[in-house]
Amino acid sequence: MPKYTVQFLPDNIELTVTGEDSILRAITKANIPLNASCGGKGTCKRCKVLVKKGKVKSPAGSEQEKGYLLACRCYPESDLIVEIPEESRLTEHQVALDGGLHLDGNGFGNEDTSVYREVSLKIAAPGPNSTESDMSRLVGAIRAETGIEHLRPTLDMLRALPRALRQAGGEVTVFLAEDRENNSVEIAGVEPGSMVNKYYGLALDLGTTTVVVHLIDLGERRVVDARGAYNKQAMYGDDVITRIIYADEYPDGLEKLREAAVSTINGLIGDLAQGWEIEPEDIKAAVCAGNTTMIHLFLGLTPTNIRLEPYTPVANIIPPVRASQAGLDIHPQAWVRCVPGVASYVGGDVTAGVLACGMALSDELVLFVDIGTNGEMALGNREWLVSCACSAGPAFEGGGIRHGMRAMRGAIEQVTIEPGSLEVKYATVSAAPPVGICGSGLIDCIARLYKAGVINRGGNFIVDAGSPRIRSFAEGKEFVLVWAGETGSFTDITISEAEVKNLLRSKAAIYAGIRSMLKMVGLPFDAVDRVVVAGGFGRHINIRDAINIGMLPDMPLEKYTYIGNSSVKGAGMVLLSRRARDLAGEIAGKMTYIELSTGNTFMEEFVSALFVPHTDLGLFPSCATSAK
Amino acid sequence: MAGTIIKERWTGKVLEMVIGRGPSAIKVGGDGTLPFLHYEGKMPNRPAVALEVWDVEPEDWPEMVTGPFAGVLGDPVAWAGKCVEMGADLVCLRLAGTHPDNQDATPEGAAATAKAVAEAVNVPLIVTGCGIEEKDAVTLPVVGEALSGKGVLLGCATANNYKIITTACKEHGHNIIASTPLDINLAKQLNILINEMDLPLNRIAMDPLVGALGYGIEYAYSIMERSRLGALTGDKMLAIPVICFAGQETWKTKEAKTKDNEEWGTQDRRAILWEAAAAAVFAQAGGAIMVLRHPESLKQYKKHISALMKPQVY
Repeated sequence: MPKYTVQFLPDNIELTVTGEDSILRAITKANIPLNASCGGKGTCKRCKVLVKKGKVKSPAGSEQEKGYLLACRCYPESDLIVEIPEESRLTEHQVALDGGLHLDGNGFGNEDTSVYREVSLKIAAPGPNSTESDMSRLVGAIRAETGIEHLRPTLDMLRALPRALRQAGGEVTVFLAEDRENNSVEIAGVEPGSMVNKYYGLALDLGTTTVVVHLIDLGERRVVDARGAYNKQAMYGDDVITRIIYADEYPDGLEKLREAAVSTINGLIGDLAQGWEIEPEDIKAAVCAGNTTMIHLFLGLTPTNIRLEPYTPVANIIPPVRASQAGLDIHPQAWVRCVPGVASYVGGDVTAGVLACGMALSDELVLFVDIGTNGEMALGNREWLVSCACSAGPAFEGGGIRHGMRAMRGAIEQVTIEPGSLEVKYATVSAAPPVGICGSGLIDCIARLYKAGVINRGGNFIVDAGSPRIRSFAEGKEFVLVWAGETGSFTDITISEAEVKNLLRSKAAIYAGIRSMLKMVGLPFDAVDRVVVAGGFGRHINIRDAINIGMLPDMPLEKYTYIGNSSVKGAGMVLLSRRARDLAGEIAGKMTYIELSTGNTFMEEFVSALFVPHTDLGLFPSCATSAK
Repeated sequence: MAGTIIKERWTGKVLEMVIGRGPSAIKVGGDGTLPFLHYEGKMPNRPAVALEVWDVEPEDWPEMVTGPFAGVLGDPVAWAGKCVEMGADLVCLRLAGTHPDNQDATPEGAAATAKAVAEAVNVPLIVTGCGIEEKDAVTLPVVGEALSGKGVLLGCATANNYKIITTACKEHGHNIIASTPLDINLAKQLNILINEMDLPLNRIAMDPLVGALGYGIEYAYSIMERSRLGALTGDKMLAIPVICFAGQETWKTKEAKTKDNEEWGTQDRRAILWEAAAAAVFAQAGGAIMVLRHPESLKQYKKHISALMKPQVY
């Protein structure tokens, strides 16, 4: 098999590949994150590259405009120089912090214990006739100080113990790490003297589309900083199913997906560590919340049967693993725990969300809706919990929308469109020049386009609206939200008819999920006391507009709360609080999972929700006045 | 033994539509009950039945169904006259000649044909395009204008071309056929969209794109039954009479097209039964307007309906 050298521009990365490796595969090997949401099947047409020099073999008709080729479709036939344009890349981004980073709500107070802590002790020297061992004295002292029954020393700790005990006159600091069970604690280390080192933990939200990390100071029990990035697994497919198929079809597929997830997280950890000038070794614990497939891929567990009836995961509750085994760049002996999940399609991210929104301790009936690629919802109170999941698609996270993006600097997060003149007013994150639209902006967009009469209830553009903002292009019609001159990207920011319909499908899935779940437990909307909305929408979401487009049920606005990324919040609570850890286990144990894919209810509800706001207008009395 | 008949009480009813103007106008719909349960509610109008007439000579109709119209095929005025003689309540003129693969007739040509037919017969008219959405959007407004004031039933409007057809119906006083593929939600959505353009709901007829007997008729049945139940329980957007193109579907089937053979018996008996039985099923599901092709099926269907329209004695 001939070998060729491929150089990628502008990264200037060179590597050797064989003629059997597609350019996409070569790019993956070079660790350049690329957009390939179909997983390299040649259908999404996002992995466009420009071959500057050399020969490639590619199927006839696969050329894109301006000489671009699809990286997944072409194979080297000589040494190559390949340019990867910006639009083909997955770009990392800042996560707009959504405010509520305090973690002491819901009764998880400061007296509670973190999953890892450091305790300073004074241990008396052995008496003249004492035969008590060093370890026995240490354990006794820890027990007296903390009341912990089961203490397990590690070999590393025992090796360091005699010197540590004697160096500072019995003053020691011990590192206590909770491992398998809440009442079993590992003595992970001991150091002489009363240490004042800072030590940290990580709360991780491992999402299908995005990954968010909170760096938490475990001593001070507060969130120091947050980072987010697109999940690099996106180069193997947009949704969990495509990725499971990828893991099944290629011999090294699962490993590639695992590496992509780990490298996404490590990139964020590196960023945080550098920004705050801390050593990765000072991060002593991590809690990860993610959907079941993501957790499988993160830990290298075979996800195959999640996709096949009867949708069997390897495990829903996974014991903590060492960071070194998981591949995270933190203290190698740190325990990484995954928030327990419920079923194949209701994972630890939902458990974390239910935990974060407080419904498991509530007397009131709470509806929890997490709007993400996989729309998940839960309903219940302290007595009972049910949950379900529906595939909403990545649209509200900016996926599949040309100018869609996450809530980051320059993202349009609010939109108003003046009926008649069709003048657009908008607000962006950080008041920066607009570069794209995020989820909350997209919700506004649909609501306002409808109100202004640009689109009809079915999402079709009403052609005769007569405005330069409405124009036709090769793939249909589009509406210009921001003219190039006002943007930070120097191209018009638009939304097309096809994208509107894509968003309508996403919103319909969410509404249909909520309604199917309520139907199955036989409760009307009125029975719900409180609705908690979660999702990566950044600082806010316009609930009124979300109701107007029929994504959320028509209930009084005061019943709604928006809590941002509930998954990472729940993970943070698990990290910091024993009560939260216990509760997470209870939640996962008692939540009843409702499978929506069996029976006709969901499909029926879905089609009737594919309308603004709904085919049954009676469900949306507050939107009764229609736009003509 | 004496028993008590349990009767449903409904709050809603199907809207009543008037097709045509003047003394020959007919009413359809208006039902306040499930079909033919006269003891539970009123069914003020007998389901109407139309025979299909084409503007051009049809090429794919089996001989058996062209036979009764020998001599008038290709002459829509004469053909329509014959349909009235044969007992059709309405004439359904299909502008098949406007199809780009047929004669690609101009909207003006189609309008002239429609006008000639409308003036020649004394029954109300249903006028449908060739079924190509883009072409119908061009043809039907011109036809609508030519027939202005005659109150015909014009269609078929789909989610993609309803706007222009609705506007034509509104301006020229016609009723519209809203056509959606066998889905109650899609049907309702199109009714809402049309109604929001200010065409009153009592000027819309729903076409659920029914299939023939043996070709998924049970789906059509359940969709129609559900929309009737919706109407009776107060859903205004479903309180709309249903039109069924039973003839066009039947005469595509091999059961109707296959000539006499030993296993299946004579085509005469088989094909007529196939069309009449499909129509009877649709009537039972709540169809208010039946469009058929063969005069003999029409006769049998009307006989069947007359029997069903007799009030039950309880």
